[in-house]
Amino acid sequence: MRLEMGTFPVHDVTFGASTRYDAGRLTIDRDAVLAAVRQDPRIATAELEIAHPGESVRIWPVRDVIEPRVKVEGRGVCYPGICDREITTVGTGRTHRLAGLGVVEVSSVNWHDAGGDFVETYLDMSGPYGEMYPYARLFNVCLVVEPDAGLGEEVKNYAVHKAALTVADRLAEAVRGLTPPETEVFELGPVDPSLPKVVYIWCVHSPQAMSGSPTAFCTATYGLTQLTPPWYLHPNEILDGALTGPYRTAYAMSWTVANNPLFLDLYRRHGRDWNFLGVISLRTEWTTQTEKQLMANQTAKLAKQLGADGAVVTWDAGGNEFIEVVRSIQACERLGIKTVFLTSEDDATEGAPTMLEPLPEADAIVSTSFFKNVTLAVPEAPAVARVIGVPTKKILRGSAIGLHAGADASLPTAGPLPPPWRYDDHYGFGSLSCTE
Amino acid sequence: MPERLRVVCYVNQFFGQIGGEEKAGVEPLSRDGAVGAARAVQQALGDAGTVVATVICGDNYAAEQSDRALAAMVALVAAAKPDLVVAGPAFLAGRYGVACGALCAAVQAQLTVPAVTGMHAENPGVDLYRRSVYIVQTGAEATRMLPEAQRLVALGLKLARGEKIGAPAAEGYFARGVTRNVVTETTAAERATAMLLDKLAGRPFASEVPRPSFASVPAPRLVKTLEGATIALVTDGGLVPKGNPDGIEALNATRYGAYSIEGKDALDAAQYENPHRGYDTTWVKQDPHRLVPVDVARELEQRGAIGKLHETVYSTVGVATTLAQSARMGAEIAEKLRAAGVDAVILTST
Repeated sequence: MRLEMGTFPVHDVTFGASTRYDAGRLTIDRDAVLAAVRQDPRIATAELEIAHPGESVRIWPVRDVIEPRVKVEGRGVCYPGICDREITTVGTGRTHRLAGLGVVEVSSVNWHDAGGDFVETYLDMSGPYGEMYPYARLFNVCLVVEPDAGLGEEVKNYAVHKAALTVADRLAEAVRGLTPPETEVFELGPVDPSLPKVVYIWCVHSPQAMSGSPTAFCTATYGLTQLTPPWYLHPNEILDGALTGPYRTAYAMSWTVANNPLFLDLYRRHGRDWNFLGVISLRTEWTTQTEKQLMANQTAKLAKQLGADGAVVTWDAGGNEFIEVVRSIQACERLGIKTVFLTSEDDATEGAPTMLEPLPEADAIVSTSFFKNVTLAVPEAPAVARVIGVPTKKILRGSAIGLHAGADASLPTAGPLPPPWRYDDHYGFGSLSCTE
Repeated sequence: MPERLRVVCYVNQFFGQIGGEEKAGVEPLSRDGAVGAARAVQQALGDAGTVVATVICGDNYAAEQSDRALAAMVALVAAAKPDLVVAGPAFLAGRYGVACGALCAAVQAQLTVPAVTGMHAENPGVDLYRRSVYIVQTGAEATRMLPEAQRLVALGLKLARGEKIGAPAAEGYFARGVTRNVVTETTAAERATAMLLDKLAGRPFASEVPRPSFASVPAPRLVKTLEGATIALVTDGGLVPKGNPDGIEALNATRYGAYSIEGKDALDAAQYENPHRGYDTTWVKQDPHRLVPVDVARELEQRGAIGKLHETVYSTVGVATTLAQSARMGAEIAEKLRAAGVDAVILTST
């Protein structure tokens, strides 16, 4: 598989008479884009707004941030499978992307009816809270969208995500016929056979157990979110969005999946530091210990059959999913595959261990620090001048600790606001760690 | 701070050259200068400090009269006006290690004098005191007294001089579990790549999360037959009476509730609710027995399969709950169950 990735950096975004890209300046025909979104009869309301880096603006509720990508040559479409897009295997030919730009899916639609997971993420384009995330450095084209209130929760999820993808498609279409200012070729070409072989074990949550639905909306593999045994994905499939869509934290979004710095670093070192074998994607939140152990065993077996000498492991969730993740590490190490685990840490109050199951095989851990904003001591986000989205935010506190103590409340989105209770930099974008 | 530090050492009767096990009952005493093993500390100190006194106490006295021993030793230490206390090293000697930890913790707290000790990883003093005291990791036996005393002294001098203390792995002490956020020079992704390169090449690497040890909790044996036992139902799945009278939190819980089931053959779903935010509570709200099986437990009680069903159900919310809170709530609930004569518990989790 050979993929040329053409990058079009975006330095300014404005609304105008037509959607076009010219030397870093993206102009958007707002009416035409919204008309495309409104063609879906499930959409009740849709508006488009722009948030600039450094601006005093807050976006709420944020379900996803998507980087516009378009397949220019070769088979299939970018972000395949999700929202009934075609499922042709991607990863070959040429893809164009708009860099430094996010399409933000802003909607009050919650993930699913089951409770437990709530859309909590809001984004600031400036200030200390905003600067904790990579999105404050993007030009964000925000689609504020609500579906027909009569639809079921799951249908609403796919309706608003399809609407956001429609916006991303329209914007990416503007660079389809242009010559990219930057091009990078991605290919797993032959390498020095003495180099160690390395695989990336990329664990993604499945909402199936929590929601009871095998098709509940979440980060999807060619559109699938159900509990499935581990997949092998060529890294070019990742670059074309075979794995895409959000989960509940600000770092588990389409944009962060597509721009995962650890994945890109592993790939770019192919042929220099190692032989990069690709990605094993493991679904998590299996419900029984037997299933968890089976998935761990099979993940390690797949890595071994691929010939892996080493593996990097990441995950995007907290809690019981940890078991299949850390058991996969254990199973790899027992097969002689050297692992590094990139993870956040749980609460260390009174010297408590921060790993749910601290297996001795997990002996090489990179910490992105605590996953709870209360333990990170993240202060309230200060008030902002403008809100994109919903003017009030329900704060589900439900805890006795810090900014999450006290009764649930409905506060003006313009703030000040407590941060969402999770932070959790799943892919190592930031420089935080945790030490004694 | 004087240039030449005043150091007080603490050693047991053996390392203080008073005698072996037959002298383990010796009460605390103080000798001028460096005595016995404290001479290795003096050698390690060189010109940096002087061992002005050596406090000696028998291991049995320290263990059996711990409060009196500790008070007496703190007084002896205080009289010597030290800038630093070096206790041990105790290696794998259990009574000695516990006394070293206790003395260091006490002089830090009561005299605000820095203190350091050393012992083997399996010394019980490590688990008891590593959170409050800098404990340098040593071997099991005193075969390498001088190099190990040198490591204690190196860390002790930094503490006495108020210098920055490095990470546990770098300084050689047991992680105290005092974690804090730091901003590093590289992103976590870059650190992961670098760590993998080191690990693949067989170069040394340092995990950023120390390997923690959970104390193992052996399951007690039921000493009665089930037919004669009182069984209690306990859950961390969040079932509470309507209105959540104890205000149990939806996450990060710090509270639990005790709810009577006296006179109830079953739980009426309309009288219960569930604040838990870590799983889909739909099915439990629909039928609370899916979490707290009062119905079948009553049947077992009536059939005589179990002696008695305890009339109080304990419930809390187990999601993102800290280990410290979990341990406290668990201990309190266990204490109440024991006081009520409960023999065994069915603990349902989610």
